[in-house]
Amino acid sequence: MKRVQALSDLELDVGKGETFGFVGPNGAGKTTFIKILIGLTSPTSGEVRVLGKSPRDAQVKTKIGFLPESPYFYEYLTPSEFLHLSARLSGIPGQDVEVRVRYLLKLVRMEDAAHAQMRGFSRGMLQRIGIAQALVNDPELVILDEPMGGLDPVGRKELRDIIIGLRERGKTVFFSTHILSDVEMICDRVGIVIRGRLVNTGRLSEILTEEVESVEITVKGLTGKFRKVLEKVTQQSIRSGDSLFLTVRNEEEVERVMAIVREARAKISALVPRRKTLEDYFMARIREAERK
Amino acid sequence: MFGRISGIARNTFREAIRDKVLLILLVFAIVVMGSAKVIQPLALGEESKVIKDLGLGAITFFCVLIAVLVGGRLVYKEMEKRTIYIMLAKPVRRWEFILGKYLGLMAVLFVSMLIMTAGFYIILLVSGIPASAYLLWSLLMTAFELAILTAVAILFSSFVPPIASAVFTFAVYFIGHLTRDLRLLAAMSPSAVVKGISEFLYYVLPNLSNFNIKGEVVHDVLLNPQALALSALYALVYTATLLLISVAIFRRKDF
Repeated sequence: MKRVQALSDLELDVGKGETFGFVGPNGAGKTTFIKILIGLTSPTSGEVRVLGKSPRDAQVKTKIGFLPESPYFYEYLTPSEFLHLSARLSGIPGQDVEVRVRYLLKLVRMEDAAHAQMRGFSRGMLQRIGIAQALVNDPELVILDEPMGGLDPVGRKELRDIIIGLRERGKTVFFSTHILSDVEMICDRVGIVIRGRLVNTGRLSEILTEEVESVEITVKGLTGKFRKVLEKVTQQSIRSGDSLFLTVRNEEEVERVMAIVREARAKISALVPRRKTLEDYFMARIREAERK
Repeated sequence: MFGRISGIARNTFREAIRDKVLLILLVFAIVVMGSAKVIQPLALGEESKVIKDLGLGAITFFCVLIAVLVGGRLVYKEMEKRTIYIMLAKPVRRWEFILGKYLGLMAVLFVSMLIMTAGFYIILLVSGIPASAYLLWSLLMTAFELAILTAVAILFSSFVPPIASAVFTFAVYFIGHLTRDLRLLAAMSPSAVVKGISEFLYYVLPNLSNFNIKGEVVHDVLLNPQALALSALYALVYTATLLLISVAIFRRKDF
């Protein structure tokens, strides 16, 4: 068997009550790191503390909720039976189990399929059950590995709301993803991991400056001569029907485009300032890592 | 602790009874026991003994088959399907997981044995053979044998795939019934290597022939209670040792 060093020099602290996005391309070592956090795998060197204790400590696990990537459950069980089992294993008192299970089934909108065997459930349905079982013990710390995987847009929106709800209740959420828009929407802080190394960590507002990166302008009703002029002065231009999409770098260039448009008696139908996105930042870091 | 172990045991039990394999094996066992009626004419006046012998043999054989086939994939399947990630992320200690799985499978075997025994006694009644409770002693000893065999299956299942695990467990079962011959071989062989290996196997593998008292109960031979008690104790110690080894392996495992 080939041994691979999945992670190295990964130093990371996540504070209580934080929603932390762990971002990286496929194969970056996100799942390996999460397995270490859960105590499924031991690091060859280094130290991990979860809620101040070793991740193998059973006491710690009473306060943790975990959703693995592409979860798979006992297909001969129904969601209701599975959640009962989860509740029992998490040490929830017998009299509270039924109420908790019903609440969770409702939270993830699986009430209708609660008593069907999970055999043949779609990925999205399994993902919902996975989220429900991760929350069965009302955990202080929720660790989610690619929680948006397999969910449709409605499901993703619902999960974002669940995570925001957890944050409002002071819970710590640590989740890995490669879907950057989710991170931008719900995370306080992000860590970017590439090839097993943490390349950056910080608040989104620190990583992404408010500075405008570029402005996208859509012009309509241009004649041939003016179009050529505009194409020359801008960084990038795309023609579509009688519209011309332009990308310019700064306000000065915007002014210049507007002057030409006015002269041509054409119309500006849209003007959108583009700020740096997490994706831009992420792609730049990956390019840097590849150059090394 | 008990809640978690029984939770895992109940889940294991539920998995097995919702699996068609178990149902097929049970139906097949009853068919085999019933088939004794067909071969009755060949028994030359010994039909009652043939039916009893075949019935007890079938119950043992099918229970062994269940232990090997269901037990062989018990732990491995959880790793393969990654359901173990969810189980071990809960406050479940690894030894609780192994013990829960073991007890769950033992419960499956107990219920299967109960069903087969009921079928066996019905066949005896239908055949007009006096259904003596003396036969149950043989089944009790089989239960102890299964305790060992299930632990063997779990041990293999925690590190090899189901088919390999089934083959190894079967091998232990067969050699376990031949341990006396192993000792004989060790005594008689001139080769030091053969002597060494046979002796090693004799001491390491379970001595399962002690649990086979079918001949005695079918022929109404008086049983030696002291020997039976000793065999039972042996089964408990051997099983506990195997479970401890399984837990030790399982605890070091990275998923």
